[in-house]
Amino acid sequence: MDLISILTPLFFTLVAVGTVIGIIFGAIPGMTATMAVAVCLPLTYSLGLENGLALLLGLYVGGISGGLVPAILLNIPGTPSSITTTLDGYPMTMAGEGENALKIGIISSVIGGLISLAALYLFAPALADFAIKFSYIEKFLIIFFALTVMAALSSSLLVGIFSGVLGIFISLIGAYDISRGGNGELRLVPEFLEYYLESGFSLLPVLIGLFGLATILIEAENGMPEGQGLSGVKIAKGKPFRLSVFKGQIINLIRSSGIGTFVGILPGVGGSAASILAYSQEKNFSRHPERFGKGEPAGVIASESANNGLTGGALVPLLSLGIPGDSTTAILIGAFTLQGIQVGPLFIGNNPVTWDAMIIAMLAANLVMFLVMIFAIRHIAKVVSVPKNILFPIILMMCVVGAYTINYGVMFDVWTLLIFGLFGYLAHKIGLEIAPFIIGFILGPSAEIYFVKSLESFGTLSIFFTKSWIAVLLWVLIALSIGFSIMVSRKTKKMR
Amino acid sequence: MSQDSLLGVSINFDTSHTVFPTIIAVILGILFVAILVTRGKTMLAAVGNGPWWPVGIDHMRFFGTIAGTVVYFLAMPAVGDLFPNTGLGFYLCSIPYLFGMSVLYLHERGRKQLLIAGLNAIIAPSLVWYILSELFNISLP
Repeated sequence: MDLISILTPLFFTLVAVGTVIGIIFGAIPGMTATMAVAVCLPLTYSLGLENGLALLLGLYVGGISGGLVPAILLNIPGTPSSITTTLDGYPMTMAGEGENALKIGIISSVIGGLISLAALYLFAPALADFAIKFSYIEKFLIIFFALTVMAALSSSLLVGIFSGVLGIFISLIGAYDISRGGNGELRLVPEFLEYYLESGFSLLPVLIGLFGLATILIEAENGMPEGQGLSGVKIAKGKPFRLSVFKGQIINLIRSSGIGTFVGILPGVGGSAASILAYSQEKNFSRHPERFGKGEPAGVIASESANNGLTGGALVPLLSLGIPGDSTTAILIGAFTLQGIQVGPLFIGNNPVTWDAMIIAMLAANLVMFLVMIFAIRHIAKVVSVPKNILFPIILMMCVVGAYTINYGVMFDVWTLLIFGLFGYLAHKIGLEIAPFIIGFILGPSAEIYFVKSLESFGTLSIFFTKSWIAVLLWVLIALSIGFSIMVSRKTKKMR
Repeated sequence: MSQDSLLGVSINFDTSHTVFPTIIAVILGILFVAILVTRGKTMLAAVGNGPWWPVGIDHMRFFGTIAGTVVYFLAMPAVGDLFPNTGLGFYLCSIPYLFGMSVLYLHERGRKQLLIAGLNAIIAPSLVWYILSELFNISLP
């Protein structure tokens, strides 16, 4: 199928619908881009790969962008990645500059998204070409690299590693996959669950449970607080918005978008790290650091361009190495799995049309996001007051639909959703990190195959250090990433 | 798995399914102990200070969500068996579930709010059931 035949009106409609729904999800505190993608994934079931991706990528871009609305208007980050937007966005609202802050955020978001999209288009194929040469040893080291990076950037290094390893452990439940060279024997499965867990826990019910049900349980625990609403908030009573506010902010925009893209490329690192890092850098370089936190537009620009910079960046490792850059792109793996396609180094080469369609969908999603938000921001702002008692039951129902349909109607998957919803709630209570857990869960079975097969073939652990110059380079990168990540972590903690 | 030299390892294919899980379990155990050692005092202090869960949470909404969801999951296949391959198990159970959850989450239960919750409980499952089950032939409980 050629690209032109894929780029139908339906394709662009799905991008637009996805982006608008994503903005709504992002704009409602407690609902995230990850949740939007997880809940809407089953809808892609009958759409085909490219159309399904169009919807999901729209949700992703819209979800990340929508988070700025409550961050600026209510001082509540709609998504975790909007956390630093509150620092200057809300003081601007208090000063009657809410609409200006929103428009600054929207323009910064689209620029961040487009810069990261360019990075995705340039880097992902090059990285994939390079990764094709990898043997099982380098592939295992890449996963090890991913796990160390994400653990190092968690709020606690030890807890981050623990969460990632726990994810790997749970992913090993079930049979040692024959289709990938395993012996087909079951492990870690109680006898009474052997029938259900032969293939282990399905990925999507796990994700939907962790990001859908768990979020609702946390809200229920807090008494399902009603939206603060916009009563008393004057969105625009100050000066009208002018583009001149961006004068002198080009370097800030490029640097913050670059930071967002880079953090996105690092596997498992959330958007909050990107925006915190970009915000702190802008504050460090600013001639007026004392204005930050009091309604400085440069702070909103740094935060929003960085968190949208994440969108393209997080797709780089997914499409070139098969390693998701964040929890939302982890769910996108589900869309590929639904269509029987494996993401990894061969993906772009074997599916050039899908690759091009994804780039076009991302571009379109950024443009739709910009147009919808810039022209309809006053209406979108009202979304923050939509009652949760209407929305959350619908989301619960959609979680069930998603879990049930993923394997053509398996009720155990619905129970899996509940099990991992409760686990996600518990993890939140005791401070486990969900992003490393998810990445560990997704990469665990591959890590096992690469590790065990390497040892079966070479018979020594030293092969992981001596196989090739790429292996040595990966060890150097692992060491560097840990060093860099610890530095970032310290800066982040300092900021907090 | 047997060890021939310091770094040498030979793996028996028949037992190869236990190699990686064993290593991961050991690492997990070590990490758990490390967390206890480094954060034990903080954790003990937190436990000692209380109040313990579930004190201070909204019992009705939290446990109501869990209980309602369990009942919903149990009821769907049971009702679905009465109308096989129609998705009606999902449809018929979703209506009371949505209504129940909406009412549970409401803070003010006036006539208007209940009417909106009722309409939502009828319209949302009807739309989802019609689109997925009837239009796209996607199987539902």
